[in-house]
Amino acid sequence: MKAILDIRGVSKSFGNLKAVDDISLQVYPGEIFALLGPNGAGKTTLIGCISGLIQRFEGQISVAGYDVREHYPVVRQLVGLVPQELNFDGFFKSRHVLEYQGGFFGVRQYRKRARDLLADFSLSAKADANSRWLSGGMKRRLMICKALMHQPALLFLDEPTAGVDVELRDELWQYVRRLRANGTTIVLTTHYLEEAENLADRIGVINDGQLVLLERRNELLSHYGERWLEVRFDRDVRPEQFSDACCNRIERIRENQLRFYFRDSTMQEPDPEPVLPRLLEEFREAGLVPLRIEGGRSRLEDIFRKVVGNHAAGKGEGTR
Amino acid sequence: MKEPDRTHPREVLPELPPEWREAALRHTGEVRQRAVGESGWWGTWCLFRKEMHRFLSIAGQSIVSPVLTTMLWYLVFGYSLGDRLDTVNGIPYTDFLVPGLVMMAMITNAFLNSGFSFFIGKVHGTVVDLMVTPLKPWQITLAYTGASVIRAIMVGGVIWLVAAVMGAGTTYNVGWTLLFMLLTSAAFALLGLATGILAKDFDHINFIPSFLLIPLTFLGGVFYSVKMLPAPWDQWSLLNPIVYMVNGLRYGMTGISDVPVLPGLAMATVSVVVGLVLVVWLLSTGRGLKP
Repeated sequence: MKAILDIRGVSKSFGNLKAVDDISLQVYPGEIFALLGPNGAGKTTLIGCISGLIQRFEGQISVAGYDVREHYPVVRQLVGLVPQELNFDGFFKSRHVLEYQGGFFGVRQYRKRARDLLADFSLSAKADANSRWLSGGMKRRLMICKALMHQPALLFLDEPTAGVDVELRDELWQYVRRLRANGTTIVLTTHYLEEAENLADRIGVINDGQLVLLERRNELLSHYGERWLEVRFDRDVRPEQFSDACCNRIERIRENQLRFYFRDSTMQEPDPEPVLPRLLEEFREAGLVPLRIEGGRSRLEDIFRKVVGNHAAGKGEGTR
Repeated sequence: MKEPDRTHPREVLPELPPEWREAALRHTGEVRQRAVGESGWWGTWCLFRKEMHRFLSIAGQSIVSPVLTTMLWYLVFGYSLGDRLDTVNGIPYTDFLVPGLVMMAMITNAFLNSGFSFFIGKVHGTVVDLMVTPLKPWQITLAYTGASVIRAIMVGGVIWLVAAVMGAGTTYNVGWTLLFMLLTSAAFALLGLATGILAKDFDHINFIPSFLLIPLTFLGGVFYSVKMLPAPWDQWSLLNPIVYMVNGLRYGMTGISDVPVLPGLAMATVSVVVGLVLVVWLLSTGRGLKP
């Protein structure tokens, strides 16, 4: 399969700070790729290198086979960017903002295209309103419309739902899925892990400028995810009272309450390992009576924290 | 829990339904085809129109206000000093004053239009929308400069016209006049654009007009003939490039000049070329814009 976005050995420094450190990554046609990472991890810098906002960097980036620096006029037609920072042009009405933006990309039917996008994003009523006076959520939607005016093949959404309400977020997710179904490949950066969990086909985790993890969403959850059982006992209890074989690890929640973690390599199945009988046997041998048992599974957020924490610990910086 | 590879994670391909992949390949092919055939001229025209739209949407501030201010200069200086000076270099002082005032208004408006417009885009973050377009640096330069030149010529032209209606004899050589208006406004539009690209705050935008352009313009023979200055100031004034521009325009309007006009034409042309090279270089390298 040929990648639509091919990043090879890209590094970018600002003075002594290495914002992007030797990242190689391929994004494939038709996928929604989520790039996750804490603030300052290098996500926006990497997107800047691809979209033309940053020109001086090491390594090679190509979009649909075109080098982003050598063939920038073609690459920029292929790429659409919704930047993280809210922006507005206070001199113009919303529809003018879109019409001119489409015009810059050579869109001749810019009036119709702007009208359609304003309708798609429920902004038709604000078409003649100055963009300065739109609410934060409306400004965010207008920015997405701007990036879509030239119908890019590869769309970057840098924190697209920051500051928007739940209803609008759900609408946006639906639109993103529709865009993908119509042929737009999407790269998403987000702090909302729920967003990546709901939308993404693959997830990359970036920390300290390095790509530390790359997995399909489902495999990420099943490879790195855990299930847990939280048990409250009739008396105080310590993790050392249980054998290593009973579970993956044990966390002490209270004096009389422990959480037993199990590797969840086959999360799709209802109960792949008979963990409960084994655990109950251990309780019986220790003379403990379980008063209450609750179960759960780790979410992407827990995995993300763990991966980033492990990476930071590996660099001797401690867990974040 | 499984430890991730901290350097280069293994290649993992997405599992996608074939229809999504096919739709993406088809759409990418369509965009590529459109992109390869796009020259950027339509985009340049749209950027020029946007810049025109911007200053015309605030015409009271961008056109009417400078015209009114300049006409007040004309009335106060022309009619209060005009009676005492009578003629300068053989022409009425009111006629002598018009080209200087036109040039002063054009320089300020050409500079501020491109400088302010580009800088406000940086402040509001909309410069990102421009930087991600396929427009080439020279196309962006052309659009911004073109709109600024139009604004400057509108302001200068209205002042010229009103003065003529009020009786000033300033139509000696219209072609030469328009050529100087075009070149000087282009030169200062480019200087404004370079300043807008490099500026980090509003003080930088105001610094050049306040501390460079207005002093040089006032000392550049707008209100007086440099020949009237005592030595060595008459010779020192010849180091001021605006002297040549004001006198080039004065020659076109009235037929008189303190300095030879061809060096003035050469200086205005060289200013445009230097400004053009500077701005295209700034936009190409992303200095002041891109880290």
